Amino acid sequence: MSEAHSTQPHPSLLQTSASDRYQRWRLVKDKIVARCVVAGGLSIIVAIVLIFFYLLYVVFPLLLPAHAESVGRYDAPEPGLGKTLFLAIEEQNEVAVRFTDTGKAVFFNVADGSTVGTEDLSIPQQVQITSFIHGSLDKGIVAYGLSDGRALVARQDYKQTYPGGKRLITPSLQYPLGKEPVVVDSKGQALTQLEVKLSDSNTTLLAKTADNRIVLASFSKKESLFDDEISLERSEAVLDTTGNDVDFMLLDKEQRDLYLANRQGDLSVFNVTDKSQPVIKHKLNVMNQGVQISSMEFLNGDLSVLVGDNNGVLSQWSMVRDEQNHFSVEKLRSFKVSDAPILAIAPEQRRKGILVADANGLIGIYNSTAERELIKEQAISGKPQALAISPRATAFLIQSEDGKIEHWTIENEHPEVSMSSLWQKVWYESYSKPEYIWQSSSASNDFEPKMSLVPLVFGTLKAAFYSMLVAIPLSLFGAIYTGYFMAPRIRQYVKPGIEIMGALPTVILGFLAGLWLAPFIEMNLTGIFALLMIVPLGVMIFAYFWQKAPKEIRHKIPEGWDALVLIPVIIFSGWLAFQLSPAIEALCFNGDLRTWMRSEFGIGYDQRNTLVVGLAMGFAVIPMIFSIAEDAIFSVPKHLTTGSLALGATPWQTMTKVVLLTASPGIFSAIMIGFGRAVGETMIVLMATGNTPVMDLSIFQGLRTLSANIAVEMPESEVNSTHYRVLFLAALVLFMFTFIVNTLAEVVRQNLRQKYSSL
Amino acid sequence: MTTAQKRTHGIDISALNRDDKSQQAGSLETCIKVENLDLFYGDKQALHGVNMEMPRKKVTAYIGPSGCGKSTLLRCINRMNDLVDGVTIKGKILLDNEDIYDKSVNVAALRRRVGMVFQKPNPFPKTIYENVAYGLRIQGINDRRILDEVVEKSLRGAALWDEVKNRLNDNALGMSGGQQQRLVIARAIAIEPEVILLDEPASALDPISTLKIEELINELKDKYTIVIVTHNMQQAARVSDFTAFMYMGELIEFGETSELFTNPAKKQTEDYITGRYG
Repeated sequence: MSEAHSTQPHPSLLQTSASDRYQRWRLVKDKIVARCVVAGGLSIIVAIVLIFFYLLYVVFPLLLPAHAESVGRYDAPEPGLGKTLFLAIEEQNEVAVRFTDTGKAVFFNVADGSTVGTEDLSIPQQVQITSFIHGSLDKGIVAYGLSDGRALVARQDYKQTYPGGKRLITPSLQYPLGKEPVVVDSKGQALTQLEVKLSDSNTTLLAKTADNRIVLASFSKKESLFDDEISLERSEAVLDTTGNDVDFMLLDKEQRDLYLANRQGDLSVFNVTDKSQPVIKHKLNVMNQGVQISSMEFLNGDLSVLVGDNNGVLSQWSMVRDEQNHFSVEKLRSFKVSDAPILAIAPEQRRKGILVADANGLIGIYNSTAERELIKEQAISGKPQALAISPRATAFLIQSEDGKIEHWTIENEHPEVSMSSLWQKVWYESYSKPEYIWQSSSASNDFEPKMSLVPLVFGTLKAAFYSMLVAIPLSLFGAIYTGYFMAPRIRQYVKPGIEIMGALPTVILGFLAGLWLAPFIEMNLTGIFALLMIVPLGVMIFAYFWQKAPKEIRHKIPEGWDALVLIPVIIFSGWLAFQLSPAIEALCFNGDLRTWMRSEFGIGYDQRNTLVVGLAMGFAVIPMIFSIAEDAIFSVPKHLTTGSLALGATPWQTMTKVVLLTASPGIFSAIMIGFGRAVGETMIVLMATGNTPVMDLSIFQGLRTLSANIAVEMPESEVNSTHYRVLFLAALVLFMFTFIVNTLAEVVRQNLRQKYSSL
Repeated sequence: MTTAQKRTHGIDISALNRDDKSQQAGSLETCIKVENLDLFYGDKQALHGVNMEMPRKKVTAYIGPSGCGKSTLLRCINRMNDLVDGVTIKGKILLDNEDIYDKSVNVAALRRRVGMVFQKPNPFPKTIYENVAYGLRIQGINDRRILDEVVEKSLRGAALWDEVKNRLNDNALGMSGGQQQRLVIARAIAIEPEVILLDEPASALDPISTLKIEELINELKDKYTIVIVTHNMQQAARVSDFTAFMYMGELIEFGETSELFTNPAKKQTEDYITGRYG
């Protein structure tokens, strides 16, 4: 530049200032561009960090510990109406009720204990109350057993009105079986123990009588065809067991399975689907020697039984079915609450949570799926008289024997999530063994969400693995040929051609894969496998004869154009593969490969399977790997290849020993970027995998990936619910995964590049 | 063809032999013989009817202005020009009386006999050891003892052994340019060629490295026939026994170096060596 200056003639003043201004403008431009580049780079980093923190922000509440605190303490209202048998809270946490041993219901304000109203169940004068039981908590059913063998079933009803825009809850009692007690024991013996389950049309009452019989009374509603009269049809059965054996009775809400247990832990399960003919299904002892059951309840959903013992252990037992269709009751898990007997169990009504209280007034909140102890607090001193958790599990009431009621609030938003429920095998209710399962939602409240991320991570890696299995050989061999052997004239068409493949929207690839390729492969499975064998074989046979061909023919094809000769060979051998496939199928696989696989090896076949995904996603990844790898191979300095050739190496030796080595950083990063793409790819896996979150290595089974799972479930998940946050966690996992893979790839690539930097 | 023959200046070896005073009598024997060599890049002719005989175990230097075809001629000797698109070659090059352009010639085998060192040092991104062993490994020799022996011998032969003997497993790309060039020479002599072609081997190096390469050439000519292309006339004068002056794809003059530099037969040669063009 100084030379240029000195050779210039002396400029005039005007020119100098113009050139000065030009110089300054150049500097300014330089700086602006430099700043813009820096700002652009920084904003990308900031955006990525923000995405990361946003994901973390949504996921974070999953990690917060649960929390409970006492917010009020008052005397049980209307002590004159008798001792509390049972406490319950309504949906809004405003009104609670205590049922007393005199047959009264006292509704009171949860916050301060003031009486809202009382109701008399009008127990007939001449009979005594001999037992009490609550039915399904979410339906608010209670039942009193009477000394004359009858029982009175009542239901809490909370009517909400909004006078003057304010919510007013008016509690009352309804009598689903009528205000008169119904006969349970036709022999008229006192009912010392009771169980009740109610559905719209059927009610089953189960009672232990004073003379130690277990009586099953069933009432079905019959609507008269002619008028609105409703009549009850009654049936009665006596269970084949003596009442001595029974201290706890639990009937599931379907009124099918009946669990009877005594304090020593002998549990028997009856099938009472046919109310007149109860059948015993299973019998076992659930307690260790010397340990006694102190309390028993259903977990929400009535699929498993919670057993509290006098050593302070809470265990969960569930009916499971093995492969031979045999039922057995298995212990799924247990929690050590304390050393004192567990006296009260209050299951949550919407989740698989459990509130328990022991004889010393210690309460604990547990989640069965997550196997988590969430809260442990000393609520009262001494034995609990009654325990109730609110329907939304945001508050509980506990009454001590001295008549005081403690009111606690609970903050426990996401109890279902724990390291074990996300990443380990979980023994879900009614499953025969612990398993990894993703099944996040269902229509019912008592559904156990199964949120193991393992099948999704497995599916993601499986899809990526199979697509890389397709993509890596094709794209790398293609890149090697194109970058090193191919004549420049063809290369200039082939390379952009393959790169344009990468511009194809994946949604198109996805629906082609799902709607065309999947049925095609299903119909031509043998052909596909024959293709894999016959095409390479055909190419090799052709190559052999090509070598033997006379020179005149061979020399007609200039060097680097030889690939063109192969195109008809590949098309022909591909056609041949499909033509031969029916014969192969008939000869080796009894006419149908899929049936043969199923019968010989038990390999099932899904139409939307990993083979389809591997091919389709491989197709999507090929252009990317090919392009980067080809660039790397093509840009290997010519002086290295000539140096190798000058030493007497063949082109093939030069390629394997020098070119690939020198291009290795580029090839490596091509593969890693392709892998990252395959892991994050959504549309293809969404449309071609069937989205079945199964853990199966078979190439003929479907899968569900993290990304497809997010795409499928995010729109239907409730904002800020556990499900929603777990989906964000899945996104975070995906993000971390690709971040780590890419960082690793970059580090390795930089290292390799440094090694070859002075080329 | 007659004009081409007129333009050629191949010299009679026996005549040279008689005039040669610095060499022991009777040691001159033709190693490479170029006969009527024409070379075309597409339609463009780059070499015009070159005829020359290069003696065994002597250093022959090609000089001439840029683009005169001296590198092209050099690359014909181990058929490196085959790698260039659209090259056609007429005429013959005889190595030990065998035509290297015969259809039956195995090019890889030819290149094992005719080694080549390029202008820019081109070690492979491998260790020093593996660079030297490369030529043996591609011939399938993987015996560690043989390799060790050859590597040491070649590195000694290239006057590099003492500098690298303690870091044979370091990456060759960590060496200086001069060392790299000597490594490349070691790599070339490891496979014991008859002929070593040097294409401006010192043009990318500093003066000290250049000196070392020149000393090395002097040592190597005891064992190998060496052909060197150089831009540097002093270098040609210092290292070569014979010099060929080329201009516009033609061989203008070929003769003993001392003769050619002190008493050129052609006006063009004289103009060039006295710096009137080039």
